[in-house]
Amino acid sequence: MASFVLKRLALMIPTLLGVSVIVFLMLKIVPGDPVNAIVPPDASESERAAVRAQLGLDKPLVVQYGIWLGRVVQGDLGDSITRRLPVTEMLLPALKNTVILTAAAAVTAFLAALVVGVFSAYYPNSRLAALFNGLSLASIGLPNFWTALILIGIFSVTLGWLPSSGMNTVGSSGAGDLIKHLVLPTAATALSSVGVMTRMVRSTVSGILKQDFIFALQAKGVRRGTILRHVLRNGMPTILNVTGLQFGALLASSVLVETVFSWPGIGQVIYQAIGQRDFPVVQAGVLVVAIAFVLLNLIVDAVHAAMDPRVRQA
Amino acid sequence: MAINAPTTSDAARLAAARREPSRAAQVWRAFARRKVAMAALGVLLLIVLACLLAPWIAPYGPTDGAVTDRLKEVGSPGHPLGTDEQGRDILSRILYGGRLSLLSGVLPVVLAGLIGGGLGVAAGYFGGWTNTIIMRALDIVFSFPAILLAIGISAALGPGIGNIIISATVVFIPPIARIAESATKEVRKEEFIEAAKTSGAGAGLIVRSHVLRNIFGKLFVFATSQIGVCLMVASGLSFLGLGVSPPTPEWGFMLNNLKQLIFVNPIVTIVPGLFIFLTSLSLNLVSDALSDALEIKR
Repeated sequence: MASFVLKRLALMIPTLLGVSVIVFLMLKIVPGDPVNAIVPPDASESERAAVRAQLGLDKPLVVQYGIWLGRVVQGDLGDSITRRLPVTEMLLPALKNTVILTAAAAVTAFLAALVVGVFSAYYPNSRLAALFNGLSLASIGLPNFWTALILIGIFSVTLGWLPSSGMNTVGSSGAGDLIKHLVLPTAATALSSVGVMTRMVRSTVSGILKQDFIFALQAKGVRRGTILRHVLRNGMPTILNVTGLQFGALLASSVLVETVFSWPGIGQVIYQAIGQRDFPVVQAGVLVVAIAFVLLNLIVDAVHAAMDPRVRQA
Repeated sequence: MAINAPTTSDAARLAAARREPSRAAQVWRAFARRKVAMAALGVLLLIVLACLLAPWIAPYGPTDGAVTDRLKEVGSPGHPLGTDEQGRDILSRILYGGRLSLLSGVLPVVLAGLIGGGLGVAAGYFGGWTNTIIMRALDIVFSFPAILLAIGISAALGPGIGNIIISATVVFIPPIARIAESATKEVRKEEFIEAAKTSGAGAGLIVRSHVLRNIFGKLFVFATSQIGVCLMVASGLSFLGLGVSPPTPEWGFMLNNLKQLIFVNPIVTIVPGLFIFLTSLSLNLVSDALSDALEIKR
């Protein structure tokens, strides 16, 4: 078990390095010479060269990457151009908000997929199962920003039940208010995953139900509720694995839903920074989310291996 | 003796007697049996045709409008899908915008298919270091969350639909290359490849006449399944303002414009997204059915 985790950790380092290379390259493909932003248009060549050397832009690309990486590893992600704050100060509270939203969505999707998936596996020929099947297929094609707009249209505009933006209403605080603000964004985010997860739960549970030990339990006269418990325990590693991976995917695609709901998460920070051409923030935001994604996948894999010994032998 | 030698007229008579349909006809029949897929195909063709014929069938130009006509309801006289915040007819903008949206959904997959397919075949056919270098490099890109990668590249390159197409292409190259590589590795093990090599055929000839023909089915099916995803990625990027600039219509971008007005007229706001959803859904259903139909006769 420990060797499995260590092997995965070892694999993680080149992946993280690869991620950092991509993010670094992203900044390098921005068209236009960054020197132009600093020197006046009539500056001489030597002045430009001086600024370039000062910014470290005259060194070979690999060296620039090394310097940048060194700073990143020490936690220095640069300063925001528009807000003049260290980027890390802006990103960490925002990341926390995104995690809140994504976790709520992942839990919701997990519970919904569990209920619907188990039902569809137990009663595969029922009309309800066919309906769920169709709905989950349709939900794969649903763009999450559109779902978000529809939900706002129904619940905020027409019915006026739920707030449509932000994380809390000015003046009020506390869990109740947070939950009210959380409902619609969570629903919009969860809907994009629940289709995939339902199909996964259904196929996993179907597979388990066909196994001999279920037949043996039934022959023994074990109650259906207890059999369900056995089924769930067998299926949990796979289902949790998919949930964890979906959590990572949701985290990474948080930008779209957060912009619709003005949810103050890291997606919103990146979006605003794009609009303001604040590249250090965009780059740092993308880097942080990508790293979180990679780390999360590692944790999910490790937990999966811990729960299911069959994985470790691979 | 002539009795045992099949003549052309014999072969023709045999074929006519058996009346064996071509492979394409077989696949089509298997596809057509699924009514849902046929309906989806119909919807898809309707949308694509309507958008292609936009200059001839749209009731108004995409930028015609007066602010006095803003935000008319769906079903208003002369404006079946309402008007947007500047008084432009939404139906016309959907038709014109669909051309850009569909293009940004299909073109990246085609380009990624060519580039990724090429890389995958090279990695799968030559193996060894070529394989390791190509596949590891692609793995690095693949481990980056897709939407984020697209957002990052688009943000860096700047707004414009060309840049969306570029970033979407980059996102789809690794998965397509993976499929191409594994399919190529399978084909390479076949005996006819070894026979071809023994007879002195060079790598280029083998790839062209044997490998490509055999992996094309899998690649094609996979690529079509990705068009729906690409459409959503591209319209998501447009929605964030990374694509076209006003006043160009495009489905995702229209949602961006209309979203501020959701409190004024919620239904009109939602129309462009409906088209993204319908197109994406039909694409998914069609490609699912296509992959099933091709599998049956494999």
